[in-house]
Amino acid sequence: MTSTLKGITLKGSAELVAEFFSFGINSILYQRGIYPPETFTRVTHYDMSLQLTTDPKLKTYLTNVVAQLKEWLFECTVQKLVLVITCLETNEVLERWQFDIECDKTAKESSAPREKSIKTIQDEIRSVIRQITATVTFLPLLETPCAFDLLVYTDKDLEVPDKWEESGPQIIDQSEEVRLRSFTTSIHKVNSMVAYKRTDSV
Amino acid sequence: MAEGDVEWELSKENIQPLRRGRAISSLHQALSHEQDAINQQRQAFESELRMYDGDDPLNVWDRYIKWTEQSFPCGGKESNLTTLLERVVTLFKEEKKYHNDPRYVDLCIKFAENCSEPLDIYRYMQAQGIGVTQAGFYIAWAEEYENQGNYLKADRVYQEGLMKFAEPHDKLLQFHKALQARVSRHILTNVDEDDSDDEPKELERVSLASLKHRGKKKAIAPVNRTGSAIKCFTGGLQSQGVPVLGNSSNSQLVIFDESKSEGAGTSELRAQSWMAPPTHRAKENEQKPAKWCDVKMPQKTKFGHTVMPAPPPKPTFQPFVEESDQLPKMTPCKINPAVNTVLSARKPCKEDTPLKRLQEHHRQQEEVESGKTQEQSVYCKELLLSGATEFCFEELRAERYFKKMAQESQKVEGQEA
Repeated sequence: MTSTLKGITLKGSAELVAEFFSFGINSILYQRGIYPPETFTRVTHYDMSLQLTTDPKLKTYLTNVVAQLKEWLFECTVQKLVLVITCLETNEVLERWQFDIECDKTAKESSAPREKSIKTIQDEIRSVIRQITATVTFLPLLETPCAFDLLVYTDKDLEVPDKWEESGPQIIDQSEEVRLRSFTTSIHKVNSMVAYKRTDSV
Repeated sequence: MAEGDVEWELSKENIQPLRRGRAISSLHQALSHEQDAINQQRQAFESELRMYDGDDPLNVWDRYIKWTEQSFPCGGKESNLTTLLERVVTLFKEEKKYHNDPRYVDLCIKFAENCSEPLDIYRYMQAQGIGVTQAGFYIAWAEEYENQGNYLKADRVYQEGLMKFAEPHDKLLQFHKALQARVSRHILTNVDEDDSDDEPKELERVSLASLKHRGKKKAIAPVNRTGSAIKCFTGGLQSQGVPVLGNSSNSQLVIFDESKSEGAGTSELRAQSWMAPPTHRAKENEQKPAKWCDVKMPQKTKFGHTVMPAPPPKPTFQPFVEESDQLPKMTPCKINPAVNTVLSARKPCKEDTPLKRLQEHHRQQEEVESGKTQEQSVYCKELLLSGATEFCFEELRAERYFKKMAQESQKVEGQEA
């Protein structure tokens, strides 16, 4: 990729962020047990070992989503990506992983690369994924079989591609929200957050 | 919340996961070492326990225990969680109105999970009729069986729950279905493997034999737990106190008999008459306060333990010594064998288990009722000792005083208005 260059371009940034989402979503699905752990395989990326799904259907789905996402990231029209975990039986939303994306739209005009080395960006991404893994310390146990859904918030005037449909925000009422780390490629900034059902404690 | 607030991430290994998750605010509070605030809250709960005079005392306990879980993410002794659970379970065991109260059942399940033999507690609960109409009870019980690899009994527990029409019915059905799915997947994946999975999960020793004791000393070596069911505690050594003769040390080896175990399974679910909740066995490193003035140092036996360990064999190579270096003169060194206390075992002391305490409590109550009690405390002993920590009289007095003050100031305000 662009690892030999010092700076980062819009295209490279879109690719990096899309890659982060691919790994991030895979990690969440693995950590939260949405898919059985034996359908994942271990890969090394960002100098850490990560789990990637081997389920063919899920794989194609994620590849499609990430490809679409990359396009939107390149056009700077995406605002948010939300991963919603719902109970399979009751359709109740149990967890909501939200990634806010701030695009620097000036990068579309000037093609000059920004000064930020890929290594620093990847370090930042790594700490975000580490934190995603660490959230199991306070997240409630998902006791029932769960499904997941991806929501993407884009600018209004965008056309909805095939196989995508409009949906509501799927907010959890009475939720506990925890901000996670963020990272920036200096063109795209991604803020992460997880929301889960509040505990019934005092 | 500031983004830089990564306290929880730094101590993630020390946070025990909770089934219901944790409130991030109390996690922050607990991890930022705000001991004062935590102590204040605990004190408030403790005094509320004592001063409460409404008709739902369980409510205070419930909130107190939930607060404890959230505020002591590392668990541990200072959280007093096990003490609190034990107290609340014993306190309300006679209260019929709480027996199928989801909160009380939940607390009992938590108590069971904190014990080394949860199954005993569940059987006790069933015998007492605690939680028999609650789906949560059957789910916890079945999960315990499942953890020990006993799918058959887990299934039987669910059937029992369905027969008793435990509520919520949907939840029970859903968990039952999930169990069946897991079992069938398990069978499918293990179809080629040998049937060693079906063996009763007992504590296994690495050597398959219990350690012998030698001479008069009854040294209890720790059971080295290797089996997958380390939670199921068989307790001590089976050959304890028995003169060790040849094969008897192999008594831990149990031969599995499938037909026999199935027969045992049916009788397992039958209600038994339990006098008191089963104990949770004494934990390691937890010694009750006891008298020390009469304790004698254990005397050394003539043989066995005074033997010095063999000296390490001399190295086969010549260690390099610098030429200029003069060899230090060897001082004759003789270790007095009497000082060698390595590997002397602690004598097993009489355990003071919660069960014993509870039975004592039972007995005392009966004596009070029959009027032949010899002791009578003329002070409010119950109030002082009812929480997890002991109160002193002054604290109780202060509590009452503040209450009175608050009431009076309210009155004054009412008159002024």
